Amino acid sequence: MKNRRLKKKIGLLALNLFFVVVCFVTLIPVLYAFSVSLNEQNSLVGSTFSFIPKTLTLEHYKRVFTDEPIVLWFTNSVILAVASVTVSLSVAVPSAYVFSRKEFAGRKTILKILMLLYSFPSILSMFAIYKLMSPFGLVDSRIGLVIIYSGTMAVFGLWNLKGYFDTIPYDIEEAAMIDGANGFQIVKLIVLPLAKPSVIVTAMMVLIYVWNEYIFAITFLTGAKKYTLAAGLYGLQATEMSGSWPVFAAASLMISLPVLIIFFLVQKHMQSGLSAGGVKG
Amino acid sequence: MSKPRINQKIMPYILSAPSLLLISLIIVFPILYTFYISLTNMNVYNWFTFTFVGLRNYSRALFVFDAGFITAMGTTVVWTVVNMVLQLSIAFIMASFLGVKQLRFRKVYKTILMFPWAMPGYVSILLWKTGIFNVQFGLLNQWLSRFGIEGFMWLSNNVSAFVSSVIVNLWLALPFMIMIMDGALQSIDKSYYESAQLDGANWLDQMWHITMPSIKSIIGPAVIITVFTTFKQFDVIYLLTQQAGGKTGANIHTILTYAYENAFITNNYGYSSAISILIFLFLIAFSLLTRVKLRDNSKI
Repeated sequence: MKNRRLKKKIGLLALNLFFVVVCFVTLIPVLYAFSVSLNEQNSLVGSTFSFIPKTLTLEHYKRVFTDEPIVLWFTNSVILAVASVTVSLSVAVPSAYVFSRKEFAGRKTILKILMLLYSFPSILSMFAIYKLMSPFGLVDSRIGLVIIYSGTMAVFGLWNLKGYFDTIPYDIEEAAMIDGANGFQIVKLIVLPLAKPSVIVTAMMVLIYVWNEYIFAITFLTGAKKYTLAAGLYGLQATEMSGSWPVFAAASLMISLPVLIIFFLVQKHMQSGLSAGGVKG
Repeated sequence: MSKPRINQKIMPYILSAPSLLLISLIIVFPILYTFYISLTNMNVYNWFTFTFVGLRNYSRALFVFDAGFITAMGTTVVWTVVNMVLQLSIAFIMASFLGVKQLRFRKVYKTILMFPWAMPGYVSILLWKTGIFNVQFGLLNQWLSRFGIEGFMWLSNNVSAFVSSVIVNLWLALPFMIMIMDGALQSIDKSYYESAQLDGANWLDQMWHITMPSIKSIIGPAVIITVFTTFKQFDVIYLLTQQAGGKTGANIHTILTYAYENAFITNNYGYSSAISILIFLFLIAFSLLTRVKLRDNSKI
């Protein structure tokens, strides 16, 4: 009896040890970048490396601000993200509501087509988009990118919101209609408040997509002045990587921070806001 | 009396028009245009003076082995299978361990294990590239140098570049899979195991007859989604081995990086478009095959 309990204890200890090791291994790339970004000496090459920097410094973080136009990139990212979220939600909410509540000719067919389009990676038509947009002056323009980002996320937004609207009972709306509320009032006062988790998650997905998108940004934007954080960091890494790896590490961590915060804030909404959407494929 | 009726009929179209217009503009129309380009010999030399070549681009992709599409397709299939097998088995083991009743710091472990999911993907990949795999100051080579091995170039031969890409992809994708697996394992009624144990079933029997059948339907959709995203994975291989102007020497192509290279590096637009259309057809066939059903629970 005693023997068995001892065995169990040892097993549990081993399991805890296992998870500590796994967690550490998981965090290695980030911990290493963090340590490099704070390490004063450039003694990166050499066998005396450890995860704890010998002399702490914020120099590399300062250099991100002084040497790189990171404030400009940040502003550009914010502008693009806010504009794309606004456009995405304002087109997705009405159409998702209509597809959830109204019957009209072509509805089923359109939904089926949208499902197939959802599996199409937008990068495959990037050249076609480029060629179609350039006569309109939409290449190397923020408006062009906002249209691309909102369009790319439009199918997701429509599906995710529609899926959530589907779970909201129709009775409440019928009651409101009998009381004389019009369609706009119903959506604004009843449906949207009830669908809040899904609206938040949809907005966050668009935001994170725009924040992390680099391939359209570097292809469509020619000047570093219009670069977003993602495009800027990509450029930083591609051009002067070896010289400024600590600066790059510092910039990477700073850029990731807002996304990390948003992720862990939204995580609890994730399950309800996303799974109900029934977006698959 | 008749006016509101017409309104009722037109209203859905008016309200969904902006969204559908945007989708047509950015997704549908470019796909049609890509198809149009795929029938021409458009490249950087004849940007405007291209001519129609029929299905020649398609036959080159499918029947000329040297063109590279078939190879890229093979790589993509291997890539997807390897990643899925590893992901599913590792996630299953981790989730089972996380499910051990007496594990007190479960929540802490889970939060830390979700971390790679929360990081922006491209940042993580770039950190792996410079921090871990870099020839001079990557962590791997610093460790190796202690054993007297200097300057191994992880990303410049096909095998080690492929393995490196798989590791990075696992790092990125495992959190989601562990979360799904964990949820699925927790949903199983524990009394099944108890009665099975009473009947003398061993661990393997319990896995085979209780665990597997119970989680199959729950993880099914997530697995299908992950197969799609793995198949369509672009960032990992592109950022690790073949950034424009920064090729590392390895020559592994999935179909997506292959299409990208033909469009934006070698500027063979007609051929690249044909490949895009082939990939799209393949994805459609695949989604019809897996019967990813359209879930329509509308209240109408």
